Amino acid sequence: MMARAVLIALALAFSVLFIVLPVAAIFTRAFADGPGAWIAAVTEPETLAAIRLTVLTALIVVPVNIVFGLAAAWAIARFRFPGRRALLVLIEVPFAISPIIAGLCFLLVYGAYGPVGGALQPLGIQLMFNLTGIVLVSLFVTCPFVMREVLPALSVSGEDEEHAALTLGASGWQVFRLVTLPNITWPLVYGAILATARAIGEFGAVSVVSGAIRGQTMTLPLQIELLYNDYNTTAAFAAATVLALLALVTLVLRGIVDAIQPARGATP
Amino acid sequence: MSLEIANVSKSFDGAEAVLDDVSLAMHEGEFLALLGPSGSGKTTLLNVVAGLTRPDRGRLVLDGEDITDRHAGARRFGMVFQSYALFRHMSVAQNVDFGLRVLPRAERPPKAERDARVRELLDLIEMGDLGARYPAQLSGGQRQRVAMARALAISPKLLLLDEPFSALDAQVRQSLRGSVRELQRKVGVAAILVTHDQTEAFAIADRVAVMNTGRIEQIGTERELRDAPASPFVRDFLKAGAG
Ligand SMILES: Nc1ncnc2c1ncn2[C@@H]1O[C@H](COP(=O)(O)OP(=O)(O)OP(=O)(O)O)[C@@H](O)[C@H]1O
Ligand SMILES: [Mg+2]
Repeated sequence: MMARAVLIALALAFSVLFIVLPVAAIFTRAFADGPGAWIAAVTEPETLAAIRLTVLTALIVVPVNIVFGLAAAWAIARFRFPGRRALLVLIEVPFAISPIIAGLCFLLVYGAYGPVGGALQPLGIQLMFNLTGIVLVSLFVTCPFVMREVLPALSVSGEDEEHAALTLGASGWQVFRLVTLPNITWPLVYGAILATARAIGEFGAVSVVSGAIRGQTMTLPLQIELLYNDYNTTAAFAAATVLALLALVTLVLRGIVDAIQPARGATP
Repeated sequence: MSLEIANVSKSFDGAEAVLDDVSLAMHEGEFLALLGPSGSGKTTLLNVVAGLTRPDRGRLVLDGEDITDRHAGARRFGMVFQSYALFRHMSVAQNVDFGLRVLPRAERPPKAERDARVRELLDLIEMGDLGARYPAQLSGGQRQRVAMARALAISPKLLLLDEPFSALDAQVRQSLRGSVRELQRKVGVAAILVTHDQTEAFAIADRVAVMNTGRIEQIGTERELRDAPASPFVRDFLKAGAG
């Protein structure tokens, strides 16, 4: 009984100290000069541009992720092909290496002096230091999420139902839409939410390839650091609240998914 | 309907042949059992007939027409899987309706007609009241019957049953055996049943094909197989099961 109370108290204290306090501090500091200052800081053109770029990046990255993650999970779960095991390991690489190294790798390959970037240069195509570069590295750091969530569900849902649908006359697309997808909906949504959170919050990899052009290639995390280094503390924290709110939205979505999922499981 | 399986061979990833030059011909409305020990290639042969597995060699001829390259859906063979493979997220009625729902718009019957057909099939399997249930809420025997109704919904030319009773206890198995045979007669469809249980094979089928290591050793009635086994394997296999 005593031990339980101590454990609970410890867990609570830890959460307050390391999670609630910092987040609360962001909001307190952001509103320290009053709501007017907060609004002014958030609607400042550079910050607005950063918000727009961050949301745009997520809107491009997450759908691509969903399609790629589904395709990879499907291939790995349903087919035996040379390189299957390699693919399984390869897809974890983005989780294993530091984002900043990922950024540097992309710069080396796709930058103006890299093999790919160099070849495209004469054609007037530039991949780094613009939206393309930001999207590419964001894709890299987020690519495991959807696949990792979907693969286990796809493996247990098995091929039998899909085969049954085929013998009943369903086309490949009908099998996917009517049989496969309903069995993996929740893992898919879950993976997409995680990928969104990561795409929005990514700093290291993006900072290498963004080029840091104010008002153009600054995502929200980069903008926050910039403002902070400029001693523009109120603006930095105001921008941080926006990022925190975006993150909270994904957290709430995640909570909703968690709440719905078991309910569905009970009546399959 | 007449089906001819001619010289079908199949091996996976260049390994030893799982099906080795299998030939067999089915008569109109016949109930045929594929009997053989585990790993003898029964399921593989059924999957080849269903169009789920492509044979390396050989042909399938349905009513004089070569269907070797026809895809599974276009064959219109109803299949009942060993695991039943019911769609977990669909109700019993939706499961049975599936084959009608996925028809191209031009061939798809109107909703009312589909509902009537589903009701008729549910009555046929004596589950008229359970259309709204989900597979997880059914007993093993009920699931088996739903899988049967779902396969019959597409008015199949041939019914393929892969060990449909193996997951059931002995009593249910026996009563379902009778009702499956009765259903098959009523609908007038030819059927292939895969089993490794010879009592079951002889009880339900008109003829039994005995399989061993990818080959059909002999096809015939119980009498023919017992009185004149074509190979020592057939003799020993039938003796072992009887004893
Ligand atoms: N997809 C596959 N890849 C590789 N080998 C396979 C595959 N499917 C079946 N086999 C092999 O083919 C052989 C025959 O398998 P099959 O499933 O047809 O046997 P079966 O007669 O149905 O056996 P059981 O009574 O145990 O179901 C087995 O040795 C099996 O390992
Ligand atoms: Mg089998």
